[in-house]
Amino acid sequence: MAIPLRDNMLVVKDLRKSFGGVKAVDGVSFDVPRGTITGLIGPNGAGKSTVVNSLSGFHGVDGGSVMFDGTDITNWPSHKVAQRGLIRTFQLARELRSLTVFENMLLASNDQPGQTSWQALFLRKKIRDSERDLLGKAVDLLKRFNLFHVRDEYAGNLSGGQKKLLDLARALMADPRLMLLDEPMAGVNPTLAGQLQEHIRDLKDEKGITFLLIEHNLRIVESLCNHVVVMAEGTILAEGNMSALRENENVVRAYLGG
Amino acid sequence: MLHYLLTLAIFFAFFAVEAWGLNLQFGLTGILDFTYITFVAIGAYFAGVAAMTPSTNGGMGGSYIFGWQLPFPLSPVIGGIAAAMLGVVVGIIGLRRLRSDYLAIVTVSVGQIVWMVIGNATPLFNGWDGIVGVPQPYNSVMNLSTNNYEWPFLGISVIVAAIIFWLVRSLTESPYGRILRAIREDENVAAALGKNVFRYRMSAFVIGAFIAGISGALQIEYIGAWNPSGWTTLETFIVWAAMLVGGRGNNRGMLLGAFLVPVLFTEATRWITIPAHPLLMEAIRGMAIGLLMVLAVRFRPQGVIPERKRVFPLTTIPGLKEDVANGHTAQG
Amino acid sequence: MTLSLIWMGIGFGLITASVLALGAVGLTLQFGVTNFVNFAYGEFLTIGAYLAFVFNKGLNMNIWLSMLIAGVLTAVVAYLFNVWVIQPFIKRKSQMIILLVVTIGMDLFLMNFVQAIFGPEFKQYQDPAGSILHIGPFLFTLQQIIIILIAAAAMVSLHVLLKYTKLGKAMRALSDNAELALISGIPTMRVTNYAWLLSGFLGGLAGVVLAINVNNFTPALGSEFLFVIFAAVIMGGIGRPYGAMLGALVIGLAMEVSATFMDSAYKTVVAFGILVIMLLFRPQGILPSRGRV
Repeated sequence: MAIPLRDNMLVVKDLRKSFGGVKAVDGVSFDVPRGTITGLIGPNGAGKSTVVNSLSGFHGVDGGSVMFDGTDITNWPSHKVAQRGLIRTFQLARELRSLTVFENMLLASNDQPGQTSWQALFLRKKIRDSERDLLGKAVDLLKRFNLFHVRDEYAGNLSGGQKKLLDLARALMADPRLMLLDEPMAGVNPTLAGQLQEHIRDLKDEKGITFLLIEHNLRIVESLCNHVVVMAEGTILAEGNMSALRENENVVRAYLGG
Repeated sequence: MLHYLLTLAIFFAFFAVEAWGLNLQFGLTGILDFTYITFVAIGAYFAGVAAMTPSTNGGMGGSYIFGWQLPFPLSPVIGGIAAAMLGVVVGIIGLRRLRSDYLAIVTVSVGQIVWMVIGNATPLFNGWDGIVGVPQPYNSVMNLSTNNYEWPFLGISVIVAAIIFWLVRSLTESPYGRILRAIREDENVAAALGKNVFRYRMSAFVIGAFIAGISGALQIEYIGAWNPSGWTTLETFIVWAAMLVGGRGNNRGMLLGAFLVPVLFTEATRWITIPAHPLLMEAIRGMAIGLLMVLAVRFRPQGVIPERKRVFPLTTIPGLKEDVANGHTAQG
Repeated sequence: MTLSLIWMGIGFGLITASVLALGAVGLTLQFGVTNFVNFAYGEFLTIGAYLAFVFNKGLNMNIWLSMLIAGVLTAVVAYLFNVWVIQPFIKRKSQMIILLVVTIGMDLFLMNFVQAIFGPEFKQYQDPAGSILHIGPFLFTLQQIIIILIAAAAMVSLHVLLKYTKLGKAMRALSDNAELALISGIPTMRVTNYAWLLSGFLGGLAGVVLAINVNNFTPALGSEFLFVIFAAVIMGGIGRPYGAMLGALVIGLAMEVSATFMDSAYKTVVAFGILVIMLLFRPQGILPSRGRV
């Protein structure tokens, strides 16, 4: 039923995860084609969050496999998944409150000296140099997300919308190849939601970043995603583009209709 | 009077070092070490027996392990390493879980067990009687009386404290320290950005334990003796109160906290005695320290000297001219 | 000879398990509802023990009656502890690590408060241990049998409470999923208050029977016993009352039976060893997982 695709950024095969006998995810398989914004939709309790947490290494899986850009990352711990270039965000903005906006940005970069205690003690010159370069990169991103003027503010003091934007900007500092966005538009006002969509589209086009977008709002999914995966009750109900899915009787019954 | 002030200054150095280690664990990383004094004690014991002459087993000095007669800079290092090794063990048991209560539970338990074992297992460190006669650094060469020895020892303490300050400052003001603070705020975000939370917690905990051990080593080399009655729960929380009052996360604040709580408060209350109940003051002091901890986090959670805000001057950023920056500031 | 020693160990183990069960269930109930460990819990035991001492020694009351009154009063202490000390931090949405710092600070405060009033000397109840009874292979004093019966009665009542009353069901719901409980209209605040009352009551009782069992006690009574309670709680899976009962039984027996083989000063090391093994290999406890991460 899926359109044959040549190049997949993410290949999920037969993923299984249960909690205390309850099967939250029961044999889920889907692909995220490279360079696309793929949507993952489904009613509450469909197992979307479990999929996100499994892919990003926040919990192990009971069965199945996850291939990320040709590497088997099944059951990898979250930090290793992230270091590979698969960066996730959380439903609610998770700013690091007592770090400034700049510090939030610098933190996200994984290729800087001084991240271990020994380097922190003995590579101080090198740290200064690399920090300068990273600041330059952070400045570009902050300008892009209109956060430059609050660069030295504590992240905890930002407005709700700014925190959302910082989440996205910070994730980009880690040079992701695939971004896993967990309901980024949830609880966000329409103006900001529009901005976020713009950003996501631009990032895909300019930087070639692939997105897996978990989203409730079908209109947003329809306008952003060329490929959509529908989940219900821990399994995949259908896969395809949005207009095809609207024709699909199962999907309509389980989700779109209700 | 001078003798007294010198002693106070030396103890101030001990407590400052202790506070820096605890600050690295809790202030920076958010690790709950409720038995910090155990690491101080392990450092003291191991440094002590490393510096002492071999035990005569049952003779005047009692029985203890080692007796290597190591000279000064080596014996404290042994103490620091021993404390760090205990830190590794505790960390392996308690730090692998993301919930912070587990480590706290492990530290509370380890504290009691280590105390009980050291008290009962006499061959280790002479049990409840403790070890005595730890040589003062270089005093065999200088041959000074106790009073005259205070100047050189103050010098040693200041040098050690300066080294430890350099250590914690370098760690704090580096990408490493930034990651520790991120873990303190939200370990899941840190993990999602590629940081190995367990490894960072472990390293901060172990370095903190090492620093505690160094402080303990300094203490035993000054006092010359150590036994289980010298390290009780209260000692741990005096350091906690110092850290919370001084300003968790701020290494300069630790100097202030170490001065206000263990030095000023403890010394001031030392002179108050209640004749009919000689031990009452001890209990009141314990109550005050406990209350101080609660009140500090309630009314002054950032401490007297809050954590410093890190500001990055734009002039250091290549390719960004100040006018461009200002233009954008105005726009935003 | 050896066999009778082991039987003796098992007998002591049952008594320790009874003391431990009261203490462990009190701690784990409150954890289940509030989702943080109360490091001042040991002082509930100490306060209970000293309150009973006041009624027993000061007012010449029967020890079991003193115990009951002490339990009720400790429940009030726990309730006020929650309202006055904990809630201000909950309202300000303090991080959990701050809450834990508060409880350990209060532990220090309360222990020294008891010491300031009663002094650091050993205290003892006035109560005859009663005649020695043979029950099967065991030798118990009347007092020890009453301790076991009290614990058993408490556990059965607790089972009834959790299983059949509205309050008990609300507690379990809150402990399983706090958010869901809140949405489904469970009065979270009231249930939390009851959890603290119950925690204080059980902690107070545990303190008194512990004090009877160890014969003489100091203000360090509770805080020294706390980590044995932790071992039982972790073994049963933190926040799970039935697990805590099972954990208490295992730890109590392991400690006392091992004490027949080796220096009894080290029996707490056995409890610690079990705690370590649990944390390393099965931190969720010995009971099968109920589906929460």
